Amino acid sequence: MSAQETARSGRSPGFWAGLYLAVVAMIGALKITDAINGPTGFILMAASCGLLIPMVRAQNRGDCSSAATLAYNKRVIASSFGYVLGLGLAITVWRNYELSAPAVFAISLLPVLPTFGIIWAMARYLSDETDEYLRHRTIMASIHGLGLVLSVGILWGFLEMFELVPHVWAWWVLPAWAIGTGLSNLWQKVRGE
Amino acid sequence: MKNRLKVLRAERNWSQQDLAERLEVSRQSVNAIETGRYDPSLPLAFRIADVFETQIEEIFLRD
Repeated sequence: MSAQETARSGRSPGFWAGLYLAVVAMIGALKITDAINGPTGFILMAASCGLLIPMVRAQNRGDCSSAATLAYNKRVIASSFGYVLGLGLAITVWRNYELSAPAVFAISLLPVLPTFGIIWAMARYLSDETDEYLRHRTIMASIHGLGLVLSVGILWGFLEMFELVPHVWAWWVLPAWAIGTGLSNLWQKVRGE
Repeated sequence: MKNRLKVLRAERNWSQQDLAERLEVSRQSVNAIETGRYDPSLPLAFRIADVFETQIEEIFLRD
């Protein structure tokens, strides 16, 4: 088997994405049930980000990868690593030191700035992508993700106001948007678009 | 919008990938346009017409 055939016969991006989500869910379950402590959870979560690398490589092997997509994947991976490291560092410092308000503001930016990197990567992708159909698909997926964020946000907000559900931090808008975008991409793929 | 992309491609014995490379777009783009799921922009429609050396109205038809 040639090197090219070997490269093409690897696992699909969906396999690696599914494995990553399963590992994250497992770590979350272990943390919620107190089977592992905070630092262990952080280390495992950071290590699980390594699964994103084969996922991106598998996606890059596919025939749907433009130069803009490859650049986008690299930027999102770098931002995701920065996010996990920034979050872990911020939580560790916040729990172990008495900090002034400006210092708390400063450490809050550690996980925030990498997430801005993810948003910037998306904006940059839309301006870099020369294939209008791929750009159109991404824009539609983003709009669907936004629709999910607005719908769930409004529903949750009123349920929270009437004390039916617990408070949810506002940073969940990004994961919720990403989930909506991912589901839309999956739906478009299933429909053969 | 209907189109004759598949017919024109078949006449030249081109695969979707062949046409995609000539147009410098993804194979998915060609597939989406060919099956009517996506209407190309005017600049891309002109490029398609140039590749097939014909007029836009010979490729894209009103519903």
